[in-house]
Amino acid sequence: MFDYLKEYFDTKALLICLGLVILGLLSVYSATFDVGAAAAFKKQVVWAAIGLVALFIMAFFPLKTLQRISFPLYILNLGLLLVVLVVGERVSGSKSWFGLGGSGGPAAFGGQPSEFAKVATVLALSSFLARTSITLSNAKHLMLAIGIVIVPMVLILAQPDLGTAVVFFAMVLPVLYWAGASNFVLAAIVAPIVAAAGALFGTLVFLVSLLVGGTLLYLTRQNRFAVAVAFGLTLAVGLSVQAVYERMPAYQQKRISTFINPGSEQKGAGYNVYQSKVAIGSGGFFGKGYLQGTQTQLNFIPEQWTDFIFCVPGEEFGFVGASLVIGLFTGLLLHGVNVAGLSKNKFASAASIGITGIFGFHVLVNIGMSMGLLPVIGIPLPFLSYGGSALVANMSMVGLLMNFYANRKEH
Amino acid sequence: MIHDEHFGSPERRRTLIIVVFVMFAMLMLRLYQLQLLYHVELDKKSEENSVRALVKDPVRGYLYDRYGKLFVDVGPSYSVTLVPAEFEKRNIALLSSILQMEPQTLEERIARARAYSPFLPARIKRDVDMRTLAAIEENFTTFRGVSFQVESKRVYPTKAHASHLLGYRREISDAQLSETDEYYRPGDLVGVAGLEARYESLLRGTKGFEYVSVNSKGQIIGSFEDGKRNVEPKEGFDLLLSIDVGLQALAESLMTTYSGAIVAMDPNGGGLLALVSKPDYDPSIMSGVTPADLWSELQSNPTKPLYNRATLTRYPPGSTFKMVLAAAALQEGIIDENYRIHCTGGFRFGNRVFKDLHVHGSVNVVEAIQKSCNVFFYQLMLKVGFDTWTEYGRRFGFGQTSNTDTGEETTGLLPSTEYYDSRYGKGKWTQGFLLSLAIGQGEVGVSPLQMARYAAALANGGTVYRPHAVELVRNKETKKIEPIPRDSSLVGLSPHVMGLIREGLLRVVQSPGGTGALARVQGILSAGKTGTAENTHGKDHAWYIGFAPFDNPKIAVVVMLENSGFGGAKAAPLAGMIMEKYLYGELIRNKPKPVPVQKTVARTMTPVTD
Repeated sequence: MFDYLKEYFDTKALLICLGLVILGLLSVYSATFDVGAAAAFKKQVVWAAIGLVALFIMAFFPLKTLQRISFPLYILNLGLLLVVLVVGERVSGSKSWFGLGGSGGPAAFGGQPSEFAKVATVLALSSFLARTSITLSNAKHLMLAIGIVIVPMVLILAQPDLGTAVVFFAMVLPVLYWAGASNFVLAAIVAPIVAAAGALFGTLVFLVSLLVGGTLLYLTRQNRFAVAVAFGLTLAVGLSVQAVYERMPAYQQKRISTFINPGSEQKGAGYNVYQSKVAIGSGGFFGKGYLQGTQTQLNFIPEQWTDFIFCVPGEEFGFVGASLVIGLFTGLLLHGVNVAGLSKNKFASAASIGITGIFGFHVLVNIGMSMGLLPVIGIPLPFLSYGGSALVANMSMVGLLMNFYANRKEH
Repeated sequence: MIHDEHFGSPERRRTLIIVVFVMFAMLMLRLYQLQLLYHVELDKKSEENSVRALVKDPVRGYLYDRYGKLFVDVGPSYSVTLVPAEFEKRNIALLSSILQMEPQTLEERIARARAYSPFLPARIKRDVDMRTLAAIEENFTTFRGVSFQVESKRVYPTKAHASHLLGYRREISDAQLSETDEYYRPGDLVGVAGLEARYESLLRGTKGFEYVSVNSKGQIIGSFEDGKRNVEPKEGFDLLLSIDVGLQALAESLMTTYSGAIVAMDPNGGGLLALVSKPDYDPSIMSGVTPADLWSELQSNPTKPLYNRATLTRYPPGSTFKMVLAAAALQEGIIDENYRIHCTGGFRFGNRVFKDLHVHGSVNVVEAIQKSCNVFFYQLMLKVGFDTWTEYGRRFGFGQTSNTDTGEETTGLLPSTEYYDSRYGKGKWTQGFLLSLAIGQGEVGVSPLQMARYAAALANGGTVYRPHAVELVRNKETKKIEPIPRDSSLVGLSPHVMGLIREGLLRVVQSPGGTGALARVQGILSAGKTGTAENTHGKDHAWYIGFAPFDNPKIAVVVMLENSGFGGAKAAPLAGMIMEKYLYGELIRNKPKPVPVQKTVARTMTPVTD
């Protein structure tokens, strides 16, 4: 029995996932129980149950079928993204919701297709890369691979949801790396990102970032023409970022500028980060005790049940609790890389890396921003943040990892 | 064909695992930094964040007079408060008219309150009257967020004003806020004059704090830790004064038509019995918040009602100062009681004649005091010398502050060789200057308070006390009544010298036709000295200093009336009534009935020792 379990059932992923979901439910309860959003907790429990069902469906879904339907799923998701743009509800400035009774916000049921688009895109990209005829040294193939990611990304940017859009970039990079993309390809993708980020910090930093990007490209020892094209692309992206930045909603601009100059606004966008740091720091080693966090309980942290949920374990369970959260995530990521390495099936292998990449990026950026390390770009912490579709999508991805583990020896 | 040798290669796997570990290390390091390294600092911030302290003002200490009569009380005062977030801006005009405030001022106050917290009630106006309260009640439904709180203000239950003695409180200024300890907050009242200022730290008590939890918007959401950490305010300490409220009230009533001061003092210890400066004001107008127009009127009033004439004026003392010179001459052995001069009604010095009012004939020191013979003192000054005169003036407490507790005071001016040298240059001033000083004219300047301790020293045989109004403090923490330390110094006069001077002072009042006859007290021997200080700007200032009873002085009194003429005529009768009231407890005179003089002069002089 145990041998069978060890061989065909990914107990580790399940336990880590359940541990995080339970911590998440505790945190959501603590963050919402007295702010008139107590219903949120009950809904989150329902979503967790739905997520568990989704997890098991994914865990036992026939791998070959999954690989086969990944493209149709992807197309379906693109359709949903388009529809939500037209008829979706606006929640905090973004059209990203399908309302199902009641309006948006923490207490309403609703769905965000962008959460499922992540999974569908990972599967579609992986199945594309798994085709034997595909090679990443072929520029056309590479462009197609990137195109698969760019299309949903643009649709999500149009909502506009910067955070989720950036996740697609974070996912594509490790997958291409895993699939064997050459250093030049990776550099050609990274260089524009560096330039884009640099463009936000003013001319001097922009020039330095161009230099860094150029050097990266040069070091890949590709032919001059390719390097020149890639550099041109980098320059174009960097220059257009400023224009895009100006068209961004004010709150996102603020989030970025606050990151650049954190002390600038204690009551503005920087206020969240300040309060969040105070909450986590005041937790100390053992924390203030469950439901005893003054920052959390007195609602000092806006959106504390969503983007800033990490404050709750940080404040109430202290270093012990926060380390547990980070530890569980790290365990999940290592397990994801491990499953990818064990998989004989290229689709499963690449998809494992994609899922791991999505989780990794969410964890790094979310916890990093909660602790004032990284910019606030509004992406939730998997399993912990309140949000039904995200929870179901994330648990589905764990189910996929479990599936890939169980089928690791299949070609 | 995909680069199969690279797809999922162990090398790439290792790289990804390193990336995960780097991420883990980064997050853990930051977590360690926040939760363990910066914990104390951030914990403090979180506490400040979530807990607000609502100040509960303590009850200020009470003041009692020497007989235990309540002198300064505390009563309720109603302040209008406003919660900025709840108040609707369109009501500003109505509210400002009810509060009798400029709409602009009201708006500024609301803005200031909002900056502190939009959800906490802030004081908008202190000490409003019942009519204002009623008007606010009427508009209760309109004025959302407007309420009132009961605070305490000073109440003055007696007839005495004692405005300069008691002083007043004002809202603390920004300058004071920056230089005082952290106790005060903007809007607090703080004693700025008189006893209220001097004993501020004892009177104020200790603020209490009610801790409430607030949310991120500053809204109060309940008490913090069930009020376990609340601190009750502690009452201020009571002051038990040496002042006789009845005497104070009488002294004030005697001065209604005058500008000047009366200081009465216990010669045995220096406790002040009354301290009057006129014109004065009713302190109850300053008990809460003084309206700006009233305040500016008090300040610009040409009669200077805020100016404490008892402690801040610097007038020449006139003949009341002659005893300083007599004491110096006798104590230094320059003359004795047998030394006589012949007064011809004038004294030629250089090419100038210094005049006397009368021709006194042959006078000794006692008679010179009795008759206030200028010629005697002109000549005595030249014998005694400037430096010795200055020295004795200093010993009697002139030219220096008395360290009183009643508020600001002047040092006065006691000229000395150094002073004249620096003022006029060495050798540029003549001995002629000294002759004016000998009779208390010229540059010598004294305050009535200084004169009071001088009179007390003459009464008690030569002890100069620190004049003070507060004798005891009721410490509400130790529940004990604690004395205020009192200092004194000795002039250093022998009983014999003291006896001669006192005999002179006795005769001033009790001898037939004495200049101080109007200061007589029925049935009791009183002694004193009149003074008429020349005033270059107008009518002379009238002085009287005295004490009674002669044998066992219980009260020393100084009366100074600005621009009122002769001290004997104007100041002496007031001093007499003060002494009478204090010694009998009431005024028994309808008309002064002189005490037979022979009886007193025949008495053997019994020097009063301390």
